[in-house]
Amino acid sequence: MNENYQSRDVFNAIADPTRRQLIHLLAEADELPLHELTAQFPMGRTAVSKHLTILKEADLVHDRKVGRETRFRLNASPLREVQDWVAFYNKYWNANMLRLSQLLEEEDE
Amino acid sequence: MSLTLSMDFPFRTSIEKLWLAITDSNQLAKWITENDFKPVVGHRFQFRHEPSEWWDGIVEGEVLIVDEPNLLSYTWATGEERHTVTLTLQDLGGGKVNLHLEQIGFSNVHGLEGAKHGWSEWVGELEKVLAE
Repeated sequence: MNENYQSRDVFNAIADPTRRQLIHLLAEADELPLHELTAQFPMGRTAVSKHLTILKEADLVHDRKVGRETRFRLNASPLREVQDWVAFYNKYWNANMLRLSQLLEEEDE
Repeated sequence: MSLTLSMDFPFRTSIEKLWLAITDSNQLAKWITENDFKPVVGHRFQFRHEPSEWWDGIVEGEVLIVDEPNLLSYTWATGEERHTVTLTLQDLGGGKVNLHLEQIGFSNVHGLEGAKHGWSEWVGELEKVLAE
């Protein structure tokens, strides 16, 4: 069975460096089995598997069975939530600073 | 959660004028919004933006550091977000001054301590990878 749904907060899921590394690895590949992912970390497959479960719960990773192995694939769309957070404050300050720049120019004249 | 927003804004002005613009309540009203800001450590203030459907517009803060004319830092809270804003001024010479802004955010909703730095960069970098 392949259940893909978001039961975990995306910020929580990416708070951990190992999980961010997993996302990077999956971003560069189409699909990877557990043993190939595990080979990239100084920890066992159980530990890597736990991290993948957390990413799955945040809907950042989808998995499917192919024969005996499970393959993992990145689902990047929940990362929008993180981006929006930054984008809001980016916009806020850019708009303000534009006004500040105009204010400083006016005073010069 | 926590996250750092880091931005640089170069202005053609003097460091004294820029300092006044970011610390004087009347000046702040012209480029941020109505406020009761004072550059005094411990002073509590509000920035009162126009409320909208999804935001009451109120930012509450407390002044943390005042080092005229080089550095100003205050807390910045709205809704469930608790942030710190730090403004650093640097005279670039030739009538130019750089304003460096850092906003470090902590949200009570997520309440995480991990990954305090460079989250925005990380997300940006990842977006690039994904766009390839």
